[in-house]
Amino acid sequence: MNHLQSNEPQVMPVEPGLIPLPDLYILRNGVPVHIISSDTEDIIRVDFIFKAGQIQEDLPLLSSSVNMMLTEGSARYTSEEMSKKLDYYGAFINLTCEKDLAGLTIYALSRHFRKIMELAREILFCPLFPARELENLIKKRLQWYRINREKVQNLATEMFFESLFGKTHPYGRQADESDFGNITPGLLKDFHLKYYSPGNLTVIISGKISDKIPQVLENCFGDLQAGNVYIEGSVAYLSGSAGKKSGLTKPGAIQSAIRIGSPSISKRHPDYPALKIVNTILGGYFGSRLMKNLREEKGFTYGIHSVLSSLDLSGFTIISTETGSGNTHSAVDEIYREISLLHTKPVEPDELRAVRNYMLGQMIRMFDGPFALAESFRAVWQFGLDNSYYHRFAEKIKTISPDEIIELARTYYKTEALNEIIAGPL
Amino acid sequence: MVKFDRFTLENGLRVIVHEDRSTPLVAMNLLYNVGSRHEGQEMTGLAHLLEHLMFGGSADVPEFDVPLQIAGGENNAFTNNDITDYYITIPANNLETAFWLESDRMTGLNLTQETLDIQKSVVIEEFKQRYLNQPYGDAMLKLRPLAYKVHPYRWPTIGMDISHIESVRLEDVKKFYSSHYSPGNAILSLTGNISPDIARDLSVKWFGPVKGNPAREVAIPTEPEQTEERIIILKRDVPSDALYKAWHICKRDHDDFHALDLVTDILSGGESGRLYTRLVRKKNIFSEINAWITSDLDPGLAILTGKLMKGVDPEAADKAVNEVIDELKNKPVTISEINKVKNRFESSTLLSNTSILNKAMSLSFYELLGDAGRINREVESYREVGQSRITDSARKHLATSNCSTIYYQSTI
Repeated sequence: MNHLQSNEPQVMPVEPGLIPLPDLYILRNGVPVHIISSDTEDIIRVDFIFKAGQIQEDLPLLSSSVNMMLTEGSARYTSEEMSKKLDYYGAFINLTCEKDLAGLTIYALSRHFRKIMELAREILFCPLFPARELENLIKKRLQWYRINREKVQNLATEMFFESLFGKTHPYGRQADESDFGNITPGLLKDFHLKYYSPGNLTVIISGKISDKIPQVLENCFGDLQAGNVYIEGSVAYLSGSAGKKSGLTKPGAIQSAIRIGSPSISKRHPDYPALKIVNTILGGYFGSRLMKNLREEKGFTYGIHSVLSSLDLSGFTIISTETGSGNTHSAVDEIYREISLLHTKPVEPDELRAVRNYMLGQMIRMFDGPFALAESFRAVWQFGLDNSYYHRFAEKIKTISPDEIIELARTYYKTEALNEIIAGPL
Repeated sequence: MVKFDRFTLENGLRVIVHEDRSTPLVAMNLLYNVGSRHEGQEMTGLAHLLEHLMFGGSADVPEFDVPLQIAGGENNAFTNNDITDYYITIPANNLETAFWLESDRMTGLNLTQETLDIQKSVVIEEFKQRYLNQPYGDAMLKLRPLAYKVHPYRWPTIGMDISHIESVRLEDVKKFYSSHYSPGNAILSLTGNISPDIARDLSVKWFGPVKGNPAREVAIPTEPEQTEERIIILKRDVPSDALYKAWHICKRDHDDFHALDLVTDILSGGESGRLYTRLVRKKNIFSEINAWITSDLDPGLAILTGKLMKGVDPEAADKAVNEVIDELKNKPVTISEINKVKNRFESSTLLSNTSILNKAMSLSFYELLGDAGRINREVESYREVGQSRITDSARKHLATSNCSTIYYQSTI
């Protein structure tokens, strides 16, 4: 072909560089506001984060229902008026409810910022949880639940968390149909009062932040009294359970969903950054061993991914894929084989170089622009860490040795500790 | 305002450069003017299958991904009815690696029986995962051939049927590749930490020597006007009924496009959309409902999908939808409601333009439509749409005789 093209360009070192630190502004009632400012488009992102995730709920569906009902009517606006206003000002809102945290992310045009923050105050601090709207929400959720029960991916993932963290812990507990009738406006109000309090709130604001913005937040949120802060009891670290295998039959399915993994360490553990690297080699990027083996060499699956994820009280690893039913058992065998290889065979220099540079490139992308910075900051702030975590991480990517990788795989990817779930035609 | 430079190489490759020094990265987007509409009806899914094969390496590059990973890059691709689009983000100091790899696979791709067989399996698993092993997953596979009778938009990008993917031969792929992959049939956009001068030098150096035949012209049949409503019933093992509707609309590059986009936003943009407000929130007929238009180069579709609440009669639900649409046709929309959907479009454009990758994709696509400069004029084009154009375009396109409907019925 073109002779010029065999001249492979020389590769320069991939260097994430310094990660800018957010500024901290504290409202007069003590609410911390982390500010990540950058000269970009006239749009601002605000994350309102409360420790109000599933971990705080006594009943399944409670924390997520509270979160989803925030926009369904407040002291001043009906649900319809509220969404009309948000849409009129071109605001995009995402309600989020995860295992540990819950809240609201808003993207707002700078010129409408003040009006949108006034609405955010209504949404977060003055919701009424009207009974009719709640009844509709529960009906809809039950319908979504039934549809999700038809998907092998959902069945396998739910069963995976139940197997890891148990039927009774909020990290593992799954809703069933009978739970939908238990959610009442009173329960929502009580949960909201406890956990959506200003004393339980952190704000991260990112984008083009003018000098006037903190004052707008001060006016909208600084007067809220943090008097009734709910003090949680101490919660124990969760070790989870390991080594369980289960199958779930879904008649008529033409693919099986496979989930393999175990409880693991949280981001606070010193080994976490190094374990992220091991996970990436195994299944964390397109060139990973699982992807190469199961997709690019065998054509068993459209995709396979391995994830190491941190929770407040625990962490977990999970390998996920869907395969045609005839290949399910071969696919499972190959997954175990790739894990065993990590235990015994040192990673070759070429592979390690590719993983190092790919991950350093990913770090550059994680800090590219104010909104990416906000997400990366949130991902360490949540665990009481700061950007020094990322500096440690970058250093570990550059220096980890093949022997360390073997040691980590033997410690954290013990074959006998893996939980294995398969949902499909079986 | 997205400022850009534009030039064309001697071999016909169009290049667009937008410098944005707020990032250490560069995004490279290479759009090929080929999609599933260029396929023959006996071998659908070929454009998408070829996209998978484009990662198979060449005589000079054994694997596409590895050198890119070593250079700190990340990449992916997508195929739709009209285009196949490859994109990379990479630290600026290693941009040349992206040029090397992307120019290499433009005409030097290594196509072997072995990689073809594996990628056929991968795509078949993708077919199952996305369409066959999902509740309601086959609805769109059925809606397209109901709406289109002769135009290639009647099949989905992944292919009409798994048997089509199974039967593709190596020579078919080679022919499709040499027919459509050439500099004159592509648009390269570069955004981020790069100056127009360097972009020009690198484009000339790497893409300049790439030769390619002019793209093969494919005669695409025109869809005849639909004159009668079409309805089918599908019975499936799903927990609740669903409704799917499609109306023929204009092509992307037509005066009615912006008005129609606002029409579907009035119907279902955000939670204040009319369909959500009335049929989900007030009447509890649907648990979810959405409407949008496709941005196709040939005349596309306005599509509406909704999941019915348990116990609701499908025909009654359809009637309720039609009442909402009829009101839009018969009663002027208030200025404030029009401004609301225009404001939402402006916000989403600003948000999209915070990403160099989105800017690169938009620049390539607008250039394909005729002018990359439209990236800066679209908000204004929406602002210019008045009350009467909204009503007129709804009347013109959302007629019952122009509609195809699927009642997707639960048998559980």
